[in-house]
Amino acid sequence: MKTFFLSDGDLDEFVTNLIAKSPVFAPVAKKTRFVFNQLESVEDLRLDYDTTILPPKKLFVPTKQDLVTFEHGKYEECLAPGKKILFGVHPYDIKAISMMDWIHEESNFDIYYHSNRKATTIIGSNVQNHYKKAFFGSVCKELKVMGHDMFLTKIADGYLVEVLTKKGDDLLPDGNFTDVSKEQIKNAADVNTKADENCPSKLKNTSLEIKHKIRMYYDSDVWKKKSENCFSCGSCNIVCPTCYCFDIQDEWALEPTSGKRYRRWDACLTCEFSEVSVQGGSENFREERAERFRHRIMRKTSFLNDKLGGPACVGCGRCSGTCTADIADPVSIINEIMEK
Amino acid sequence: MAKVKVAWFDFCCCEGCQIEMTNFGEPFLKLLELVEPVEFREAMSEKTTERINVSFIEGSFSREEDRVRLEEIRERSDVVVAYGACAVTGGINALKNHFEMDDYKEAVYGADKDMPHLDTQDAKPVSAAIKVDYAIPGCPIDKDEFLRVVTQLVHGTSKVYVPTYPVCLECKLRETVCRYDDGDHCMGQVALAGCGAPCPADGIPCEACRGFVENPNEKALEQVLQERGGLSAAWAKKKSQMFTANLRGDA
Repeated sequence: MKTFFLSDGDLDEFVTNLIAKSPVFAPVAKKTRFVFNQLESVEDLRLDYDTTILPPKKLFVPTKQDLVTFEHGKYEECLAPGKKILFGVHPYDIKAISMMDWIHEESNFDIYYHSNRKATTIIGSNVQNHYKKAFFGSVCKELKVMGHDMFLTKIADGYLVEVLTKKGDDLLPDGNFTDVSKEQIKNAADVNTKADENCPSKLKNTSLEIKHKIRMYYDSDVWKKKSENCFSCGSCNIVCPTCYCFDIQDEWALEPTSGKRYRRWDACLTCEFSEVSVQGGSENFREERAERFRHRIMRKTSFLNDKLGGPACVGCGRCSGTCTADIADPVSIINEIMEK
Repeated sequence: MAKVKVAWFDFCCCEGCQIEMTNFGEPFLKLLELVEPVEFREAMSEKTTERINVSFIEGSFSREEDRVRLEEIRERSDVVVAYGACAVTGGINALKNHFEMDDYKEAVYGADKDMPHLDTQDAKPVSAAIKVDYAIPGCPIDKDEFLRVVTQLVHGTSKVYVPTYPVCLECKLRETVCRYDDGDHCMGQVALAGCGAPCPADGIPCEACRGFVENPNEKALEQVLQERGGLSAAWAKKKSQMFTANLRGDA
């Protein structure tokens, strides 16, 4: 790892050079929230963002993505990964991306995901402002922030820049990176530690304790109680950086000779997610709100831990913030069960 | 390939969905390469008494005397598609279902209210009178969804996928700032999706014009409309009456 300093003034030049080179996707303001969008100008860049509506995985798996088109009996795969730079990713989202990298190859190598992922250079940045529901400082401590190519931490007068990979190295000619002092390195480490400590919300137990106890509560009536106000809208799933389920549909074009197969992000909180066809009819294997509500928490706290090395939750707080009924917050559910 | 014979019929409605169709432009003209309209009041003067492959019905079933006409359409159609909010759920016409018949008749027709040709009833979806094979909801319909459903039908797909999840999910997919995060209210949590959530994207709360999802959590909606949307208790209770009169728990 190499470490540099980039002054506030030089950041603008660096980003402007990157934009000239390839599409740069970074946090920009959208009314009261933020989203990862393609940067047109460095002036739109908001490294002071709290969190984005959707996690950056949308760059690797678009929310709706054509997989195959067919015409006159011939088909074509819709793979067109273009080089791009994902700029300003918070540490919790970087953790989630490394989980996604693994998920999209462990049983089936998802060529659509990985071709986009491979073509992307990821530049992380520290959390300057906390999302009102963030709890990343107290969850998924087992997983390291890794898989990115460069990381920027805001310190006095500029940024401490860590270069972690060859892809990151390749960007060095685009900016005026200078030497850092030991003090600046220490300051940056403090900034990141404080970001973890200052999360507005906290889990009180270790992932292992939570994993075991939540599983023990599988048959508890807590799920029914907690999910009373659930709309089954699936918003908590869609905004989650570690949810990865999708639905596939085939669709004819107007001409009866062509069409396409596409996939769309799916959500296990919705009723139709668990509907399957059974001998000509259909069956729903999680028909009750409470079952679907429980399933999400189980997936986030218990079911995937052995596979991922930690819980499939990075504490971004998006699910909690997006839920209009205010019942999706994992911290309040987990802490309540842990206190029982 | 022989062209599919299609016809449009209207009942209690503003015929806005038919107008919407004539607004389609190119995709609709392209569709005409596959279908042959045999009756379409807003766009042609010819009528038919022959067998129809696909009948599109707009408008709600709000007079008992319409039953015969609906049954007759059903009888000579292979496939019946209800389209637009009125045909699918009773739509905005069903607002009257919440009032006393005598009151609204007097308000609308005054002294003539008891004349026999003004007889009326609760506004019901077309499916209350006849079997409907496919439904394309919305006020007005979404042209992309209409084309998608009709394209699949014309190509002989018997199962046409339409979403059953709520509008919230579509807002998230397009990263629309939630109306509630913008200090507003919304009914996207219980409204049937499929439209692509254009209203909240334009800063307008969802009014559930496509109707409710199955098992809408009405109690939670009322609570959220009050606590987060700032509506009064009475208004929160009434809020979803506009398009979902036939789907609410008090229907």
